[in-house]
Amino acid sequence: MAKSNYRRKKFNIGTFMIWLFGSLVYLFMTIPVLIIIMASFSPKAYPEFPPTSFSLHWYVELFNSSAWLETLWTSILLVLIVTPITVILGTAAAVAIRRLNFPGKQALQAMMMSPLMIPHVVLGIAFLYQGTAMGWFGTLTALIIAHIIIVFPFVIRSVGVSMSNLDPILEKASMSLGAGPIRTFFQVTIPNIKPGIMAGTVFAGVTSFGEVSVSVFVASPQWVTVPVRIFNYVEQTFDPVINAVSVVFILIAVIALIIIEKTLGLTKAF
Amino acid sequence: MLKTIMKSDRQKSFYWALLIPTICLLGFFLVAPLIMLAELSFRGVDSYLNIQDTYTIQHYVEVFQSSTYLKTIGTTLWVAFITGLCCIILAYPAAYMLVNARTSGLRTLLYILLIMPLLISMVVLSFAWIVLLAQNGMINQVLLKMNLINEPIPMLWNLTAVVIALVQVLLPFAALPIANTLGDMDPRLRSASMSLGENRWKTFLRVTLPLSIPGIISGFVIVFSLAAGSYITALLIGGRMQPLLPLTIYQQVVQISNWPLAAALSFTLLVIVACCVLFLGWLLNRWEERVYG
Repeated sequence: MAKSNYRRKKFNIGTFMIWLFGSLVYLFMTIPVLIIIMASFSPKAYPEFPPTSFSLHWYVELFNSSAWLETLWTSILLVLIVTPITVILGTAAAVAIRRLNFPGKQALQAMMMSPLMIPHVVLGIAFLYQGTAMGWFGTLTALIIAHIIIVFPFVIRSVGVSMSNLDPILEKASMSLGAGPIRTFFQVTIPNIKPGIMAGTVFAGVTSFGEVSVSVFVASPQWVTVPVRIFNYVEQTFDPVINAVSVVFILIAVIALIIIEKTLGLTKAF
Repeated sequence: MLKTIMKSDRQKSFYWALLIPTICLLGFFLVAPLIMLAELSFRGVDSYLNIQDTYTIQHYVEVFQSSTYLKTIGTTLWVAFITGLCCIILAYPAAYMLVNARTSGLRTLLYILLIMPLLISMVVLSFAWIVLLAQNGMINQVLLKMNLINEPIPMLWNLTAVVIALVQVLLPFAALPIANTLGDMDPRLRSASMSLGENRWKTFLRVTLPLSIPGIISGFVIVFSLAAGSYITALLIGGRMQPLLPLTIYQQVVQISNWPLAAALSFTLLVIVACCVLFLGWLLNRWEERVYG
């Protein structure tokens, strides 16, 4: 009895330590986000802690700045072009590669996922060099192409999760009942992998909107995205308007998380 | 019979039709630029850094003979290693808490906190660390107010700050694979060990930890390769002069415009990271062979 009591006490301390340490980790992960939100509502350039006053000054400045609004428009335009193209191509590829067997299939899969692992500085200068050589550097097309490549793996992964849950027997049944491959694809496959496509769309949009490390190389003065402008700014000066801009990113992340949770489910999507 | 074969052929060609646009896209816009960059790394340059038509290995020789570049490579790998290690140490209890959360509401909340950095632009997170660590930033202000320090301590522009920010930005990549292996683990294994008389600590060391090694290694691999290749956080927190390979590549392109040397440095980075990843993958295989036979 005494021994079991002893063990129980020890077990409590161990669990307590894990929870204490774990909570500190969650705090560490959350603090930068909270600080940015707090700083964006502070009237001073360098926010005080604890905050003493509240102001929307930086938000007013953000929405009165035509330069920031212009980059915001570029970013939104880019997301609106990149997301549908990537989702259509990526969904088609994720379905096809799951149902086909051919030599080199694994190599192709690795190639599709490789933009996640290849250092972005390498991809960035490769895209910049190709764009300069081929003559599309400085155009919106250069940014579109780079973003499609970067965002592609996220769509492949989300749709891939849904595809692995889809029994091929459903498609076979549809075919044996007389539906052609196109009809089967649109009426059986697509409706069944909708959650994956939805999550992939959200991932693609959010990633494209926040992409910075490759965009820095392919963006030109006419086409600057919000993250690239933040980067150029922070590197040279300190501008508190960036706090307000950052809150826009945090808001979008929260909305994206809610959509992913409602479609594919958070635990499955990551 | 013949009809089914024809049908399956039709289906196959349909799937190929779905796949071919992607193969073309990745071929033209991912493989081709990398091949062009590889070719560029062997091009000669004149004294004005103009690219010549001749081929040479002088850039690779320069990279591996200059003590500055070798030191830079060493620092890059060291920073990536430390970042990976810190991420694993911090991610483990976080993942453990996530998997063992009592209510699903708490689990969702922890999940959201953990993966939020994945969906926020890296440049925004780096900026947040500047607000925290700057001379007149949040941490210095709090320390000053508490009279713990007399004047602000410089916390930015060094590699420690870079590692701290990188750990926060990359931690989700370590936590998710660990959470997956912990979640897949059969809880009966732990109760079996406990009922056989092992205490909780020994059960953890002998059962839980070994079984979560695959998650730990894959998490480490991802964090390591991302940390070795990231320059946004390093540049904003550490400044332009830090001896990190991605930063050097960025400088060579943006400021010095020595393209072939930048290309050679890029492939050095790519190959070194790939070697480390392959080595860790081999290590993981060996481990699984030992554990599962």
